[in-house]
Amino acid sequence: MNGETILPYLIIVPLFGAFSMPIISLAGRKAREAWAVIISGITLLVGSAVFHSVYENGPMLYTLGAKSPFGKANFPVRIVWEVDLLSALMVLMVTLVAFLAVLYSLGYMKHDTGLDKYYTLILILELGMLGIAITGDLFNFYVFLEIMSIASYALVAFRNDTWEGIEAGIKYMFVGSIASSLVLLGIALLYGQYGTLTMGYLAVKIAQNPTVVAKVALAFFIAGLLFKSGASPVHMWLADAHPAAPSSISAMLSGLVIKIGGVYALARILFSIYGSSVNMKTVGWVIIIFACITLIVGNAMAVIQTDMKRLLAYSSVGQIGYILLGIGIGLAAYGSRTGDIALAGAIYHTFNHALMKALLFLIAGAVIHELGTRNLNELSGLAKTMPKTTFAFLIGAAAIVGLPPLNGFASKWLIYESSAMFNPILATIAVIGTAFCTAAYVRVLYTFFGKPSEKVMNARDPDATMLWPMIILALAIIVMGLFPWQISDKVMIPVAKALENQLGYIATLMGGA
Amino acid sequence: MIQFQFIVAFLMIALGIYAFLAKRNLLKLVLALNIIDSGIHLLLISLGYRMELNEVPTAPIYTGYETLKSPMVGPLPQALVLTSIVIGVCVLSLAVALTINAYRHYGTLDVRALRRLRG
Repeated sequence: MNGETILPYLIIVPLFGAFSMPIISLAGRKAREAWAVIISGITLLVGSAVFHSVYENGPMLYTLGAKSPFGKANFPVRIVWEVDLLSALMVLMVTLVAFLAVLYSLGYMKHDTGLDKYYTLILILELGMLGIAITGDLFNFYVFLEIMSIASYALVAFRNDTWEGIEAGIKYMFVGSIASSLVLLGIALLYGQYGTLTMGYLAVKIAQNPTVVAKVALAFFIAGLLFKSGASPVHMWLADAHPAAPSSISAMLSGLVIKIGGVYALARILFSIYGSSVNMKTVGWVIIIFACITLIVGNAMAVIQTDMKRLLAYSSVGQIGYILLGIGIGLAAYGSRTGDIALAGAIYHTFNHALMKALLFLIAGAVIHELGTRNLNELSGLAKTMPKTTFAFLIGAAAIVGLPPLNGFASKWLIYESSAMFNPILATIAVIGTAFCTAAYVRVLYTFFGKPSEKVMNARDPDATMLWPMIILALAIIVMGLFPWQISDKVMIPVAKALENQLGYIATLMGGA
Repeated sequence: MIQFQFIVAFLMIALGIYAFLAKRNLLKLVLALNIIDSGIHLLLISLGYRMELNEVPTAPIYTGYETLKSPMVGPLPQALVLTSIVIGVCVLSLAVALTINAYRHYGTLDVRALRRLRG
């Protein structure tokens, strides 16, 4: 089966599953849960098949509308989906974490009402992220970005009987809408200047005639997408929104949404559309400066939190800093070996952080589920009564700090190595960030292994549907940690090369399914 | 003529951003978001409108276009704006629903009251 024929099912399956969910729900609770698991499971299979196909056969193109790149009268009326290796890796990441989050929701959301809406929204969220990953058209990108954003606003405010969810939802929605408006304004400016919205075609036009308007549009894109990824001057919404959502959603928001809707989209626009037609050193340094601020602020704020989920959210801000640092160095040192390593490190860390932060938020959810609190001061001595959960947390924390036998080590090492080669000051900042990060997680572990308080005595490890996703993620972290350099050479370096290869991205447009 | 539309579009965007930063009422903030969006929609529509050979263009309807003498406006921005309006309505309805919920929890529409999450 070739890749192009299965690509549309990446959108069709979750879309069908989401909107048939209210009907299936009429058949009762079991049917609804089974349907959610089946749909996200099929999506995972399709996602793996797409990744395998792209890995073996190179980038694929799927066209909606005219097949030929020239169309009638030299103006193709069509929307393209273009999947290169980076998109395929993101698809695999999204489908995997979303499947585990749905599985986890079965146990975690048992006591909530309105679950048909919950599962509909979680599938729409997955669909929006998959669409962003595979699209090759700017307006299509905007539509999927908004699908993803609206679903996540609604999910953050899902528990509307608490003030926390509502307040976080309102903040998230206002910031997110402004960011989306900035992106739309950038798209409008690019359309007015060049008369096309296909990313590859736009790259050709900008390279032929780089105008001021294109640069202004780039500024709008960078501003809007840094908002969406939670970079530092505007990270406040993230620390409110991610803890307020149900934990399975926090795992998806922190693990996937800020990366697909922020970092991945930024990398795609910077490398595939603008590429060498702007001054890459300047743009790279702009990203690097934001990255350094984000890295220090996020990790430092994580140290002083007493709320477990808020700590994890700030830690996400810090880790986004590392990913942005990698992208910035990849841009500033474009084409050199340093740039390749930095970009590979950034992509590797994106994938690793999705697994690690999903695991940590699922553990936080398990703790909330058992104890009803996420205040670190009340969780002392959890290791005695919830040993499996604590062990999983130990693995997640060690991986996110970057201890050698786990997956976080390799990706962070690539980022340190490239930043040291590029500019030693940046490496120093990155290591300082890691020191803060270590302090934050050691504090949580210290609490967990401390003297048991009365409150935790009645806690026990969660039941199977909640435990298995955590075990799978922990196993993935350990297994990926055993082959760090093999994964880096076989997958991450080719992915970085695919992202840097702007001509290849444009050339793919000339093919067609 | 065309310059006038661009000026109005950017004025609307600027007005929306001003209202978003200066106003304190949640409903006014929701309206500010919509004014920004409308400004961008107006900009997109104006970009598709071009006068060719001093003739006023007609609507981009494909049936019977062979007999048409005058030029047509660009169809793409109109499709984009229609999609974007639908998205705008989604955001608007969600925003108003959240505002109602906020009023139930806080008893006020003042955005300064939404400051319980801190640290």
